[in-house]
Amino acid sequence: MKKFPVWLDCDVGVDDAIAIMTAHALAEMDLLAISTVSGNAPLSATFPNAHRMNGLMKTHYPVYKGADRPLLVEPQYAAAFHGENGLGDVELPLPEDAVMNDTPAWDALYACAKQHPGELRLIAVGPLTNVAIALTKYPDLRTLLSTILIMGGAAVGGNVTAAAEFNIYADPDAAQIVFKSGVPIVMCGLDVTLQAVLTPADWDELAATGTPAGVFTKACLQKAWSFLQPIGFAGVAMHDACPVMYLAHPELFRAEEAGVYVETRGSITRGKTVTDLYSDKQFETKNALVVLGVDRDRFIAIVKDCIKTI
Amino acid sequence: MSELKKIPVILDGDPGHDDAIAWTLAQGSGRFDILAVTSCSGNVGIEKTTYNALRVCTLLGIDAPIAEGCPHPLTNDVMNAPSVHGESGLDGPALPEPSMKLSSLGAVELMAKVLRESPEPVTIIPTGPETNVAALLLAHPDLKPKIKQISLMGGGIAYGNWTPAAEFNILVDPEAAKIVFASGIPILMAGLDVTEKALIMPEDFERIRALGNPVSGIVAQWLEFFYIFHKSIGYEGAPMHDPCAVMALISPEVFTIKPMHVEIETQGEYCRGCTVADQLGLSGKAPNAQVLLDVDRKAFADRLVESMKFYGEGAK
Repeated sequence: MKKFPVWLDCDVGVDDAIAIMTAHALAEMDLLAISTVSGNAPLSATFPNAHRMNGLMKTHYPVYKGADRPLLVEPQYAAAFHGENGLGDVELPLPEDAVMNDTPAWDALYACAKQHPGELRLIAVGPLTNVAIALTKYPDLRTLLSTILIMGGAAVGGNVTAAAEFNIYADPDAAQIVFKSGVPIVMCGLDVTLQAVLTPADWDELAATGTPAGVFTKACLQKAWSFLQPIGFAGVAMHDACPVMYLAHPELFRAEEAGVYVETRGSITRGKTVTDLYSDKQFETKNALVVLGVDRDRFIAIVKDCIKTI
Repeated sequence: MSELKKIPVILDGDPGHDDAIAWTLAQGSGRFDILAVTSCSGNVGIEKTTYNALRVCTLLGIDAPIAEGCPHPLTNDVMNAPSVHGESGLDGPALPEPSMKLSSLGAVELMAKVLRESPEPVTIIPTGPETNVAALLLAHPDLKPKIKQISLMGGGIAYGNWTPAAEFNILVDPEAAKIVFASGIPILMAGLDVTEKALIMPEDFERIRALGNPVSGIVAQWLEFFYIFHKSIGYEGAPMHDPCAVMALISPEVFTIKPMHVEIETQGEYCRGCTVADQLGLSGKAPNAQVLLDVDRKAFADRLVESMKFYGEGAK
């Protein structure tokens, strides 16, 4: 089987952790490296958390440190969902053999893209700061990347404000750079990710396997669950696993081509991903494939299989 | 329907085919006591919408005072939609010349007078940009308690039509819409979410025409004209944007309606004029609007057709 070369940029993050495990285990992809960014938690947590995931999975993916703050707006974190440490306040040991790379994420990403011209899939599931810096510093990067698959935005609604989703809200200027880059974009926004719910029965099943990955999965989601259960959710949305799964199994998803741009100047719409999916008025260019639906049961079954193999 | 108490209303619009059909529904339903009709700048300029308001009221036998509204939006330049409504704003069938005179009062003063004199709070039905209503609220804040609710056509919580994020009526005058939505007056919002589902199909045009009265024949022609533009951009029928704001007061049961907090974006590169709806309650702000989200299209069409019977035998 031909495997997709994949770079994963994330802000680990409980659903990032599950996205990492999924990307690691899926046979369809060859995970080359992980870069980290400020987002769900500060970079001082997300960077070591990526190493901690290496420890949990007994892997040695190169981990790179990216931006410790958004391009222009003030940093914002999501501790209510991800805990102060980004892993739902679950303590995972930092592996003793962790290699603390000094190469900045954008430099390492560019070097990797040059080794896989036209082939590298960049999956970005945090604020798009690192990606924007890479695209800006290296103008030819846009011609080297095959696709950027993101978790971010929403065709309708938001989860930080009525109009904006966290990753885009956290760095709207970076997101706009990415959407205007010309690189083909697959956008997994709240429209689809809120359908991709892991339920208590699912994480109990994983924990019952007794593996460190299964036990960790249940434990790290409890903080988010304590926040989501009282407001009527059926489980915890696997936001960040969506673009990972889309790359391997697009047949599980429903998606439409659209023009998508980011509002960076609104007073109450900052970070809104404005799409022309439903509007009579269309943008001139269709720059993104907006993912709108997923077969939840098949999606979750594969995520569980992935975690069970670890 | 005669045993039901009539709802006192002010019709404020920019006719416009769907405004005219909304007013036809309002009069034909027999459910309203129409206290005033006011024109606003929108689909076409104020001179044309005023003239059209006079002609439509003449046709329908609406004998309320009619006043001319603000000539332009609060801060925006004038913006019109001739591609949809034609040069006159009501292209299509010939209409009777006005049989009444325009009020010597401007729209805001007429609205204020009507509100002041009405023994009970009055509902305003704006089917154009919110300019007149905002001007009323700015000039006469003391009259707010005399406004029962505002049932408006405007916006869209999921998308726009004149830009990807903004609907025409709100985009024309976002500042006015912001004032109206922030006013504290209960709002019934018929946005694109519902109005683009409230389609009147070509076979419905024929049902209306077949009623064979002088008004129904003209309404059928308005629908045909209005459908030309919409068919060209892929619609299966004519979207009854403005009639939704009237129907919501007559037959709320044909709609799916949800309370939520709605604010207007007046800034932004892409989002000026966007109606931002807090569907998940993230803002912690109490709902200020009942938002129409869906419609039983068949029931809507049946009720619209039914209202046209008013203009047949037995009409005044």
